[in-house]
Amino acid sequence: MVLIVSSVVMMSATTPFLWAVRITMTMIPILLLLFEKKYSSAVRFLILYSAALVLTLFFLSEESTGLLKSFLTGYCGIVVQFMPAMITAWYVVRTTKIDEFMSAMQKIRIPDGITISLAVVMRFFPTIKEEYMSIRDAMKMRGIMLGGGNALKMIEYRMIPLLFSCVNIGDELSAAAVTRGLGGKVKRTSTVELRLRAADHILISAFTAVLGIFVFFKYIR
Amino acid sequence: MEKKKLRPKDFITIGIFTALLFVVEFACGMLGYIHPYIVASYVVMIPLVGSIPMMLFYTKVEKFGMISIMSVLLAIIMFVTGMGYLGAPLIILSGVIADLIAKSGGYKSFKKTMISHGIFCLWICANYFPVVITAKSYREGLVESGYSAEYCDNLFRAINYKTIGVLLVLCFIFGCIGAVIGKAVVRKHFEKAGIV
Amino acid sequence: MSIIEIKDVSFRYKGSAEGLLKNISLSFEKGETVLLCGASGCGKTTIIRLINGLIPHYYKGDLEGDVTVAGKKIRETELYELAGTVGTVFQNPRSQFFSVDTDGEIVFGPENIGLPPQEIRKRAEEVIEQMDIRNLLGRSLFDLSGGQKQKIACASVSALLPEIVLLDEPSSNLDRKAMEDLQKAISKWKSQGKTIIISEHRLWYLRDLVDRVLYLEKGSVIHEWTGDGFRNLSEAEINELQLRPVNVEDDTSRRTEASVFFPNDEVLILKDFFFAYDKKPKGILHKRHPSGDRLDLNIPELRLPRDKVIAVVGHNGTGKSTFLRCLCGLERSCTGKVIIDGREYGRRDLLKLCYMVMQDVDHQLFTDSVMSEVMLSMDDPDEAKCREILDHLGILGFADKHPMALSGGQKQRVAIASALAACSKILLFDEPTSGLDYAHMEKVGDLLRDLAGSGSTVLVSTHDPELIERSCDFILEIVDGRVGSLTSNPSFTGRS
Repeated sequence: MVLIVSSVVMMSATTPFLWAVRITMTMIPILLLLFEKKYSSAVRFLILYSAALVLTLFFLSEESTGLLKSFLTGYCGIVVQFMPAMITAWYVVRTTKIDEFMSAMQKIRIPDGITISLAVVMRFFPTIKEEYMSIRDAMKMRGIMLGGGNALKMIEYRMIPLLFSCVNIGDELSAAAVTRGLGGKVKRTSTVELRLRAADHILISAFTAVLGIFVFFKYIR
Repeated sequence: MEKKKLRPKDFITIGIFTALLFVVEFACGMLGYIHPYIVASYVVMIPLVGSIPMMLFYTKVEKFGMISIMSVLLAIIMFVTGMGYLGAPLIILSGVIADLIAKSGGYKSFKKTMISHGIFCLWICANYFPVVITAKSYREGLVESGYSAEYCDNLFRAINYKTIGVLLVLCFIFGCIGAVIGKAVVRKHFEKAGIV
Repeated sequence: MSIIEIKDVSFRYKGSAEGLLKNISLSFEKGETVLLCGASGCGKTTIIRLINGLIPHYYKGDLEGDVTVAGKKIRETELYELAGTVGTVFQNPRSQFFSVDTDGEIVFGPENIGLPPQEIRKRAEEVIEQMDIRNLLGRSLFDLSGGQKQKIACASVSALLPEIVLLDEPSSNLDRKAMEDLQKAISKWKSQGKTIIISEHRLWYLRDLVDRVLYLEKGSVIHEWTGDGFRNLSEAEINELQLRPVNVEDDTSRRTEASVFFPNDEVLILKDFFFAYDKKPKGILHKRHPSGDRLDLNIPELRLPRDKVIAVVGHNGTGKSTFLRCLCGLERSCTGKVIIDGREYGRRDLLKLCYMVMQDVDHQLFTDSVMSEVMLSMDDPDEAKCREILDHLGILGFADKHPMALSGGQKQRVAIASALAACSKILLFDEPTSGLDYAHMEKVGDLLRDLAGSGSTVLVSTHDPELIERSCDFILEIVDGRVGSLTSNPSFTGRS
């Protein structure tokens, strides 16, 4: 599972620039989402992606200039280029369990320190989002969303409470983790057995094939 | 510090701050799509904004390795989110050097911290590596994927072999300035509140 | 031989001037259930931390004396070695998770101490059975309610099969039903012969479980009761000690069902409060007011009395918070309007008109001093008025301090001060008293009365029957996003 996911990520990191291939590539994470019964997000991604795609293909060309156009380019650029990567990254975070992740990392002999830190990073994105949401609510109620037109203030008002609560949560989190034995000298075990299944093999080979095609067209032709 | 070994608590701190820094980076990164010059101005924005969490992080760092690990994490995250692998060595290198410098100041001396942060900020330039090194294919890629020619021209005017040096220097300078500002903010808020 | 020995221990946190524990000696027998109570800051949490080893290994400070747990000297034992012996459930359900999913969290501990996978799976299975949490498996921890999170935390501790279980104010964020679940978990542990030590303000749910009760004040134990002695304390004695009630009746039974009617000039009229969390993907249009059941909030019209304290009650997840958020104008797609004296306030005006004091006040404090925090809300800063407000709330002395350096209750007051400075007429409180001791709760209660007395309408979402009894004029019950009932509070009006 983890292996598929990481290969998916790697692939989309080097997303092919050939249109047809690219679109297929994007469909794969969306399909994955469907498998995991995250229908709404899959549909949302699909709509966003196709909208951006249509826009890019039909309305934007190399000559597009002007503010609105460059805005549109920007938007489509984000969506088309990063969407696949983002979907997959998001998919990883949503579906990979910290547990699986840690044992996978252990298997490929990444030192414990990095594993723990990286696991915390993954755990912390949703937390930051939660915290940030309530800070934004609070700012709305105070009417200081724009920081009185002062960019510095805008950043300060967002950062300071966020940092405070993250530091606090981090403190409590580490206290809770160490009382449950994190960081012992004993080697961690895992209930999750990581094994490649048929599906994983298929996916991996599909991705390798796509990569192959991509490399071929890009550099050899 | 009586124990030099990193403890789980330290790893968790690293994780948290890496996540925060990445969020900052990502937020700034989104702006880059509006105009290519903004891409170049990452070197100013990220050190300045990112300095607030970083300076707070520095106050928590007391042992060697914390900044290095952070840079490794950043390299991994950058890779996973599709920024390419070319920058990874630079990210890790700048992290380790920053760590060494901060260590030589015993993680206490502010001057050392400042320089260390300056060096650490060089990781931002890693984002430009794909643009510079694989300039031609990157450009083709951009045009194909629907960026306007104007955007590309501007992007390459802003970032190329010649400017990368300037950008690195700018990164360092603003890293140092950021450190000063970050320190001021930390003092204004966190020390006053008694958290540090 | 007792299982935990605390001998002549004094402790002072690094950076604080005064010692928190003064020469304290305690011992706990195997299989005992002990309750630690007393006001905030009396040293309850510190004792818990002494036993689980967070002091001195995690929180630094000056420690004298010896703590021995299950034959191990804490000072010389590394934290991870204690993991299989002592388990701790912490106060804040949000921050004690390492994983993002429930299954992973339960097995986190056993994996850390390196048990073989089969053994872990067996244990996890047992724990799931015992705690009755099968329905929570395979879910993201971020989607769970506070009570559910706390259940998982209990299960996660259980999976390590500790001989000693510590609970540090575990009910702080829980509603009544979740507390009853917690009660079940504790009695399960008790029947397994574990030693249980609980630090807690809310006492009623522990009443029948405890074997011994220790009352702390300023770092020393000043009272000690056996379980029966504690259960037989009279109400007056409990009040004397400033403890929260030991007996709490089920508050729903006593309410008068007579609805109340208010004349037009004394009410706020809430109109068209409909809201549904958007679960459908964007781009699919849905009807403006889809019929009934799918709405998370469905209040076509509601008349609330002005300048009163109104308790908003209901189970977790029934729509209390949604109601408050919509009333504040925080939910963009909620079309509700509030009418006061014939004037209509839409969503944007509501943002100004209402102010919510959040459960986690940290999120709404932005500046570096109390004074500037309050001034931030004023359209044209007026220092004199600001001082007046601060003085009124009793926090003028902290005007130059950093808001984050204050205690929880003081922070709450700062938030209220900034609401008053912004001339908000409707003040909303989301669980203002969860995790407070009796004295602080009393203070908050008085403050609410005071605010209502000076021309603000106060809505409090709360689970604390004591608070409702003390200070609320009316009770608004929310059931599944609808108004269940709005009644006057018999116990309060009876008193005044």
